[in-house]
Amino acid sequence: MRFWQKYPAVGLASARSNLAYLGEVTSRVIFLGIILYIFLRLWKVTFTQAAAQQLGGFTLEQMLWYLAVTESIMLSAPRVAQLVDEDVRTGALSVQLIRPMSYPLYRLWTTLGERLVRFLVNSAVAAAVVCLLVGPIKWSLPGLLIFVLSLPLAFALDFLGNFLVGLGAFWLEDTTGLLLIYSRVTMIMGGMLIPLELLPDAIRTAFQTLPFASMVYGPAKLFVHPDVPTLLDILARQSVAVLVFALVIAAVYRLAMRRVFANGG
Amino acid sequence: MKRISSYLALAASYFQLNLKAQLEYRGAFLSQALAMFLNNIAWVAFWGLFFHRFPVLRGWTMHDFITLWAVVAAGFGLAHSVFGNALLLPSLIARGQLDAWLLYPRAALPHLLLGRMSATACGDAAFGYLVYLAVVKPDLQHFLLFTAFTVSAAMAFVGFSVLTGSLSFYLGNAEALSEQWRFAMITFSTYPATLFEGTVKLLLYTLIPAAFVGYLPVEALRSLSAADAALAVTGSAAILVLGACVFHLGLTRYESGNLMEMRG
Amino acid sequence: MELAVELEGLRKTFTVTRGKGLSRTRTEVVAVDGVSFTVPSGQSVALIGPNGAGKSTTIKMLTGILNPTSGEARVLGLVPWKQRSRLAYHLGAVFGQRSQLWYHLPPGDTFDLLARIYELDRADYARRRDMLIERFGLGAFLNTQVRKLSLGQRMRAEIAASLLHKPSVLFLDEPTIGLDVVARQELRDLIRQWNREEGLTVFLTSHDAGDIESVARRVIVVNHGRVVLDDKVSTVRRRYLGSKVLSVKFHERPATVELAGVSVVKTSDYALKLEVDTRIAPIELVINKVLEAGAVADITIEDPPLEEIIAHIYAAGAAGSAAEEVRTA
Repeated sequence: MRFWQKYPAVGLASARSNLAYLGEVTSRVIFLGIILYIFLRLWKVTFTQAAAQQLGGFTLEQMLWYLAVTESIMLSAPRVAQLVDEDVRTGALSVQLIRPMSYPLYRLWTTLGERLVRFLVNSAVAAAVVCLLVGPIKWSLPGLLIFVLSLPLAFALDFLGNFLVGLGAFWLEDTTGLLLIYSRVTMIMGGMLIPLELLPDAIRTAFQTLPFASMVYGPAKLFVHPDVPTLLDILARQSVAVLVFALVIAAVYRLAMRRVFANGG
Repeated sequence: MKRISSYLALAASYFQLNLKAQLEYRGAFLSQALAMFLNNIAWVAFWGLFFHRFPVLRGWTMHDFITLWAVVAAGFGLAHSVFGNALLLPSLIARGQLDAWLLYPRAALPHLLLGRMSATACGDAAFGYLVYLAVVKPDLQHFLLFTAFTVSAAMAFVGFSVLTGSLSFYLGNAEALSEQWRFAMITFSTYPATLFEGTVKLLLYTLIPAAFVGYLPVEALRSLSAADAALAVTGSAAILVLGACVFHLGLTRYESGNLMEMRG
Repeated sequence: MELAVELEGLRKTFTVTRGKGLSRTRTEVVAVDGVSFTVPSGQSVALIGPNGAGKSTTIKMLTGILNPTSGEARVLGLVPWKQRSRLAYHLGAVFGQRSQLWYHLPPGDTFDLLARIYELDRADYARRRDMLIERFGLGAFLNTQVRKLSLGQRMRAEIAASLLHKPSVLFLDEPTIGLDVVARQELRDLIRQWNREEGLTVFLTSHDAGDIESVARRVIVVNHGRVVLDDKVSTVRRRYLGSKVLSVKFHERPATVELAGVSVVKTSDYALKLEVDTRIAPIELVINKVLEAGAVADITIEDPPLEEIIAHIYAAGAAGSAAEEVRTA
């Protein structure tokens, strides 16, 4: 039991240390403001040209709130892949191995702690900006709860993806390219800029089946249209994806560890 | 004249050496350049999906949008594959690392900017030219004009990086601020300025001069408008001149050593 | 005699801001406080002093990187901070901590680039390069990436690179830092030879007493931004080196050695370490006394390390300037 208790403590420590950098985190919100303003203009023009009240089941206000959530999620991603890459190359990972702590779990919890702080800051700013641009959205406490419930596994899933990219450092000269591709795929297939409803049917189905939609699109959609069946659907998708990712990572990690023990890291 | 050719030869030498140094880690260089190439393709493909649903955006078609991405990416890529240090200027200044460049008998700014090549910028440049040729399929006249605009956009990007980077002379370490400002410029440059109105539109010609690198070149290519072309080039040149002036004013502060990091 | 470097009342102050907002305070820190000296062309000078004494600020002003607050300087007849670019053609600089060689490329590539930067004539450059390669023994690793070179090889290439354009003045900042004993000596010999043969004016800053002794003829000590000593290395040696250290090992327990001018530094059962003031007690006399004291197994005579001398000078300089402040107050 004690073995498991230390991880939330690690996460808490990470969250607290990130609170200290709040100033730095806040300096990044200028970008958030700008991008949301651009989206407002883009969609305002699009709605006007389409002469529509709703597109894909979203009003202009809902569209902006949807984008506020997806941007808050994407921009709160900690630099996990870079950290893992660094730990692999500097041999810090081998040092971690002699601690009574699992390296992947240690990273998972520090990441979640950091992400929580960054997500809270981002979403507060995004909410303020969108309120200013298009006004508040109708919300309820149960609805908010549904949204919040969809987040932990979404963040965990994104962590696993990043961790996998970072482990690439065992075999690749450089992982920044891979990371760039991963994050771009997450943005586009995850529906960061456009709700999946507005895409051609075949593509929409494909994107929805892939795990990226349950990291970004899922929670954002639940924020705008909270309902329990959708939540259960997303949780199920997230669970399956987490399981698959975890299995892949376990296999890759084992392979990597064999390398560490063979080459001394 | 002799001076200009001497600097061109210097630039060629640096480009060659930078490339050679990058190729020492061929895998890393190629994977970063390729990743940036694919990244841009992914964005353009994404906008393809958008335009599939909404074919015309205030008179702009998919075709115009791809031209916009091509000219911005090629301009940005050209700028930072030759003058890669432009992006690192804030940290070079804040850490007092200009010293090394000041020991050489060359104009500090151009010499210093040549000192590095960005691998991802090479991917950007390759993407810009290739996608323009492959998707837009221009005639010779359009292609030449396009190439000229990539050069003017590169001037604007270098000038803007220098301008924002030089803030570090005045504000100490202004890395975060100059980065945000640059992000704003890059982000705005990949959207058609027709989306914006009033004050914000004015902003795109002044504080965040994104119109000169993307919007105006595309308008000029669309209608072969000399006025738009002249404005794009003049604006870009103005940014470069302004950036160089702010740098040189800042450099006298550096030389007089008001920076904390310069003690010792 | 032609002067390579002239400084007159050179002074540099920095404004340091502390705190934020209302509690912000500005304090003026004096880094260089009215330094004056001249260096004739072809001389080799060591500029030494503890960290923060103002050495590197002085060098930065001499190379045109920093503007002085007041005072004048001329290097090769040019005002460095006004004619930086023109002067740079005639200056060479090696900073032990910061390389001008491209890390991922062979030294030869950097040489080619430097030829462009200094606008060297193709043929002249080729001749000069080949000569340097031979003299510095770079042939074996000219085409090996710098990252794969040993530190000694790297520093040799580094100095050769800074000599490509035939500079008249060479600034060396901690050139031997991190090198092993052999590489250190090799490098010092090369610098000294160059100084003699090409009439190169050498400006050395170093914390290594060996560097100073084997490279420089003159030593200028700065502390708290002022020159506290300026003399020939040999004179400094003579003046402060009036003592020798004698370490003796005995086969048996020795009798005590007592002599005016001799003090016991350390003593144990079979060993003895003595410091001898040779102006009072000639060394032969002391050795005789030691031989009388017991059966000697081993004996070594050494100069006290220059480090100690330097530390002594710094201390004296600090005391001197403190006294001066009291006087002016």
